[in-house]
Amino acid sequence: MKSVSELTDFYYKVLYPTLGKLEKERKHLRYRIFLIGFAYTFVFIFTVLALQNAFLFGLDFFAFLFVVYLGIGTFIYKLLIKDYTHAFKDAIIHPLITELDNRLSYVHLFHVSQHLFERSELFVGRIDRMSGNDFVHGEIEGVKIEFSDLHAEKRHKDSKGRETWSTVFHGLFIVADFNKTFHGKTIVLQDTAQKTFGNVIGTWLQSNNIVRDMLVKLDDIEFEKKFVVYGSDQIEARYILSHSLMQRILAFEKKTKHPVYISFVGHAIHIAIEYNRDLFEPTVFSSLLDYNTAMEYVQTLHLAIGIIEELKLNQKLWSKR
Amino acid sequence: MSVSLIILLVVGIILVLMYNSLVAKKNQVENIFAGVDAVLKKRYDLIPNLVASVGKYMEHEKSILEEVTKLRADANKPNISDAQKMALDAKVTSALGSIMVAVENYPELKANENVMHLQHSLNEIEEQISAARRSYNQAVTDYNNAIEMIPTNFMAQAMGYQRKAVFEIDETQRQNVNVKELFN
Repeated sequence: MKSVSELTDFYYKVLYPTLGKLEKERKHLRYRIFLIGFAYTFVFIFTVLALQNAFLFGLDFFAFLFVVYLGIGTFIYKLLIKDYTHAFKDAIIHPLITELDNRLSYVHLFHVSQHLFERSELFVGRIDRMSGNDFVHGEIEGVKIEFSDLHAEKRHKDSKGRETWSTVFHGLFIVADFNKTFHGKTIVLQDTAQKTFGNVIGTWLQSNNIVRDMLVKLDDIEFEKKFVVYGSDQIEARYILSHSLMQRILAFEKKTKHPVYISFVGHAIHIAIEYNRDLFEPTVFSSLLDYNTAMEYVQTLHLAIGIIEELKLNQKLWSKR
Repeated sequence: MSVSLIILLVVGIILVLMYNSLVAKKNQVENIFAGVDAVLKKRYDLIPNLVASVGKYMEHEKSILEEVTKLRADANKPNISDAQKMALDAKVTSALGSIMVAVENYPELKANENVMHLQHSLNEIEEQISAARRSYNQAVTDYNNAIEMIPTNFMAQAMGYQRKAVFEIDETQRQNVNVKELFN
């Protein structure tokens, strides 16, 4: 696999002509967005004022109008950047992935299936809406891997029947073959209870968590501080989470700088990295040639695909070969 | 209902909870030891095959091979205690370790497919045993904490619960882990 610096070179050298073209398109698009946004706001306010004279709205109705204004505005914005986004994914993200490893395929408008997300059991509860994009899949050194941006949401209804949506997970979701054979479930989550309530009460709460399997207390102090582990089999959980894997997971989380959730279910490892935003999207209001922007695309891709080497998923045990 | 009756009821509930938690912890230790036992047995089952495969070549290491065979026979005796099983496990681990080191000195053994397969199977079982030992040690620590900490220690004393021993991981094994780390 190519290193981050090799990829950055590729981004600036090979992709530069395309980037230049896209950058021009971006500036033009930004101008159009300002222009259309201004016109839209003007027309909207004018219409509201005209109607206000005729009907005399209450304050509640103004709040409603503001939501409508934002809704239509977002729709127009998305429509405007659609072609630009598409061109960016085709010309930049796709070649970056192929450069990183040519055994991987990329599908822009597809995502990891809801079945895999639910199978991971990382987030309990019903999922009512699932969206995502930037699906990458392939096989590297005998390890099948797939990942994508994912946004899982849940619907709520209040007493007046109004519908609201809350986010269950928003970020990068990775599924890969695991190198050891196992039959049960092992789930590694962020340790919020112990951080909030301290060791004694936190552990007591975790061991009485009715929605999860048994609490697995591990013998790596640093890991135990950061994560909480639930599993259907105490021995199997430790067979999977060897001392070296625990250290590698800790190092991986440090590298991602975002909360990481991991589960081992059905011969696979599922990794959810909570970014709380859409990844691999083109910038509209800042330059595509900006170093930080480039590094973000490169590093996130490198991190997701690098998981195989990072967690040594390619070092299969005898019985799995 | 009078106040004293309520107090009595609360004390009764606390006692029952304490009793149940102690029993649960003791059963957890036993349950996990059964798991340890199962993987240890898996390793003992590999020994005859290993001894037969390497015995022809290893003239100088005859004594280790005999020792391993004897340890296996001891482990298969009925009615041995958990403490004895743990002691046998430590001995077998070190003896098998020496055999595996010795194999390195015999090129024809290193290339032998059967030996290679055995070596890999042993490595895998060693990982399972290590996981089982760690689970057991955790369960025993929880149990020992409960029988020594206030207030469950009074109840444990009344129930006649004794401290249990954990699997000791000796220095040589720790070093083994470190060497493995280097190659990872």
